[in-house]
Amino acid sequence: MEEVRRIQNKSTFRAYLPAILALVGAFLMLFLRIEIGAKFISDAALMMIALACYIFAALFQLTNLYAPSEMAQKIGLWTATLGVFFNLSSWLVRWVGAFDREIAMMRESGNMATPWFFRYIPFANLYDLSLAFAFGAGITTLLLANRQKFQFLSAFTLPLAALILTLARFIGPEFIDLPPVLDSYWRPIHVGVASLSYGVALVCFAVAVIYLLKDKVKVEAMAIWSSIFTLAVIGTVSKFSVFTEFVYRAGLFLPSSPKPFSSPFRLEIPYVGAMLVISGVLLLGVIVSFLIYLYQNNESAKKIGHILLKISLATQILAIAFLVSGIKSTTDIPAKLQTQIANNQSQLIIAGKELASKQGLSAQEFSALTPMQFEQAAKQFLQSNGDKLFLSLNTNPVELAGLITALAGTFFVILFGFKTETLRERLPSLESLDGLMYKTASLAFAGLAMLLITGAIWANESWGRPWGFDSKETGALIAWLTYAAFLHTRISRGWSGRSSAYFAIVGFLLVIFTYLGVSYLLPGLHSYA
Amino acid sequence: MSATEETIKAIAANKTRTKSTPVLNRILDFLSSVRFGVVLLCLLVVLAMIGMLIIQQNVNGFDAYFASLTPAEKFVYGSLELFDIYHSWYFNFLLLVLSLNIVLASIDRFPSAWSYVKNPKLNATHNFLLKQKQNTVIEIESADEKQAAEKVSRIFAANGFKSQITKSNNSFYKIDENGEKDFSKIETKSNLIVYGERGKWNRLGAYIVHVALLTLFLGHFVALQTGFDADVRMMPGQVTNEIQMIQFKLDKQERYKVALPFTIYCTDIEQDLIDPKGSINIQNTIDWHTRIKIDDPQYGETNADVSLNRPFTYRGYRFFQASAITLGSARNMVLELTPQTGGQSFTVDLVRNGSVNLPDGTKVDYEAFFPDFTFNQEGKPDTKSAEYNNPAAVLNVTSPNGDKNKVFAFAASLSDKIPVGAPKAGYKWRLKSFEKSPLAHVLSIKYDPYNAAFIAWYIGGFGLIGALCFVFFLSHKRIWAMIEERGENKFEVVLGGDANRNQPGFEDKFNKISDALTNEKSVAQN
Repeated sequence: MEEVRRIQNKSTFRAYLPAILALVGAFLMLFLRIEIGAKFISDAALMMIALACYIFAALFQLTNLYAPSEMAQKIGLWTATLGVFFNLSSWLVRWVGAFDREIAMMRESGNMATPWFFRYIPFANLYDLSLAFAFGAGITTLLLANRQKFQFLSAFTLPLAALILTLARFIGPEFIDLPPVLDSYWRPIHVGVASLSYGVALVCFAVAVIYLLKDKVKVEAMAIWSSIFTLAVIGTVSKFSVFTEFVYRAGLFLPSSPKPFSSPFRLEIPYVGAMLVISGVLLLGVIVSFLIYLYQNNESAKKIGHILLKISLATQILAIAFLVSGIKSTTDIPAKLQTQIANNQSQLIIAGKELASKQGLSAQEFSALTPMQFEQAAKQFLQSNGDKLFLSLNTNPVELAGLITALAGTFFVILFGFKTETLRERLPSLESLDGLMYKTASLAFAGLAMLLITGAIWANESWGRPWGFDSKETGALIAWLTYAAFLHTRISRGWSGRSSAYFAIVGFLLVIFTYLGVSYLLPGLHSYA
Repeated sequence: MSATEETIKAIAANKTRTKSTPVLNRILDFLSSVRFGVVLLCLLVVLAMIGMLIIQQNVNGFDAYFASLTPAEKFVYGSLELFDIYHSWYFNFLLLVLSLNIVLASIDRFPSAWSYVKNPKLNATHNFLLKQKQNTVIEIESADEKQAAEKVSRIFAANGFKSQITKSNNSFYKIDENGEKDFSKIETKSNLIVYGERGKWNRLGAYIVHVALLTLFLGHFVALQTGFDADVRMMPGQVTNEIQMIQFKLDKQERYKVALPFTIYCTDIEQDLIDPKGSINIQNTIDWHTRIKIDDPQYGETNADVSLNRPFTYRGYRFFQASAITLGSARNMVLELTPQTGGQSFTVDLVRNGSVNLPDGTKVDYEAFFPDFTFNQEGKPDTKSAEYNNPAAVLNVTSPNGDKNKVFAFAASLSDKIPVGAPKAGYKWRLKSFEKSPLAHVLSIKYDPYNAAFIAWYIGGFGLIGALCFVFFLSHKRIWAMIEERGENKFEVVLGGDANRNQPGFEDKFNKISDALTNEKSVAQN
């Protein structure tokens, strides 16, 4: 009996070994960083290695799904482990980096005080949160991989984690000066819970999509939804200019310390707008073709839809390639900007309004300003800063990450359309997937509840009000309520399986909206992250 | 399956109301239904989304947003209370109905959940066991039925299950010679059943969640109804027994004076800077401290340090460090004095609002500090800006002979020929160094006489977290074993079980028990 138990204990330990190794290894890296100092590998480099590992792990697991191979599965699992290890290492090394940076600044100015170490925990901006979010998704995937039948999950969750790290790459790893209100012991608790529960929600989302695939939801229906998402992305980037003016303009930066300052001007990048418009038109064709196929069972429409989808993947790749190369290679920015403005004077007024909105004017003062004054302010800005403006991949992180996410969505739908039945057979049973979806949704629900409560208590300590319906608070509440509805519909209507999967997808989209949309689109107390 | 899932299914059969069911019962059924609760949750989501997309009147930037709306938009949004949706009557009504739904649903379903705790199902039939998600039939050897049951019970206990052995009488139709059921004859057979369970209290987890949620709602509601928000500006030396209550009315903030039952005296304000030579802006700040003394006719004197993230609570009033008036000032300063008659210069320390006596008996009193010194149109000392461009301290100096002088001590070295730079009261004065601090701090005050916010968020909130962990990280696992004799010293164990959550975890446990029983057999054989 004892022997049996020992063997079982050993196998449990073995099942969790990848997760344990990733965690222990990352803390060893932290120790090395403290010992070696600033010469140690940077957190940004570690993040890039984690990103590469996530992509490789996903590729091996995908290969294993289509052509089962124990070696591919093992490589996939251990590359995922490496990804989580580098991801956490990057975050921990960043912690020490932030400490060293501020202490150096203080010593230089003669300040010999040493603030507490938790002041530097990397939960200060969206870059830090993205690192932790991707880690949350990675570690959840590794923990679930303790059951061999769920090891395939990394094929779907790690590309999403990789997208989050890509976003982090575009946001940039520069440290920020911590707003004093964030210097609280509640920050690691609140934001730590947020990133882990976001990670679990991501895994729940991936399981929901896999469930739908297994449940024989037609790939064409998925293609319609992914195309709508891509159209929405294309329609909103570059301040809606793609579909209205057929051009894509990238934001321009102004050098500033510690982070470049985002200027109110955008510069047109050649061919990107055209490629995005073509992608949009093709995706419209995809939607129409697949709708005809779904409602009239028209096989020709299905074929056309698939062809259009594949062409749109190519045009999306081209658009991103033109965008990246355009940003990297554009020179003589002031002259190009002047020519662009000469052709479209309204850009001056838009830029002037943006400049005025950052001046802290009252509503009355703002409304008293005339278009001429806006134009004048923009011209003045250009006169004094025009020659310093530069393009960078970090200028519009959410836009670029959005375009890459849309591309990944299109890619996955095309992939699902390839040997769909073989793929379905390889996936675990619907019952196991439903169980896993319920489990992860429950965890996400409990995690989001912790997020809300710890946030409220922190707000009560900092601002004297636990709940103020700030946009990020409300976003998190909405996501939590959606998961609550998910769990309760299983009780009241017996909604499990496909209905639950739809709920899980909506829940995750709301989590993403809270994570990104609120930070970039809505005003509030959480606009730093 | 969630904690209440099984219970709900069980009672669902009893809930088929006929047309003759009283209207009140039907209304109660509707109000207590989970379906209605889900609809309310969805409505709440929609309203919260509207509130997120339309900037609310208490959010920074509302005035600019409000100014950008057309009169028609202002009218429609205003009429629908969309600018303050979270305080609108319909939002509060929705929360009230949701609370009612939670209470009624809990009352309705609690008895059946309680039955899992109070009256566990100790009996099981062969069919029932084979219908369980996890089931298996194992043959074991034992001297008699009782010993076999005890063996099973030991294995249950070794796996963390609390076990109980009962005798169960099962009635069934007799099988005739043709192998068919003879419905005219009923036979009764008794078997020993071993029942094992763990985590039965998990069945009540959902109710603990509901209680925590209601505590949270109620506490927050009481805090909102009985309390108010206010703020007070604090400058060293300032004494007040009034605070400013704030009320938002669209793009206007209205302030009312509220009298305090005690007096606040500001003794000191301090700003911890990363770079002490840098500016006093937020990017260069580690913390702000406001030191106050409370003089209460009822409870005497109390001293407190209010800093960021460390509020101070006194008689239902919570004081928070909110913001600072960032007009440069000095918390303390070092003055360099050079005797007019010649001799070695020396330094003296002077704190804001403080005074110091020089060795020759001269008394120096602090009067004011200007970060960017100038004389205004009335010829009085003033500042051109909030920045430390030309810092100077204004001092009142009383000579040993009683002569009073107003002295300016500048950080910059000024020529003796300039009036403000010329020696006065026997000394040439210079501001050698100073500790930067803002002119004043603003403390925000939350009045909560019943500590309802604390109860709501600490007790209700942590209760909710604990309850959710209890619900989702634990489960109620049940397992039954029916012992049936199959020959001399041979017994068949029909094993079946289920869990209300975490089926894979239960499956592992079940297999472990099943393996242990199988191994018992092989050990016996050896």
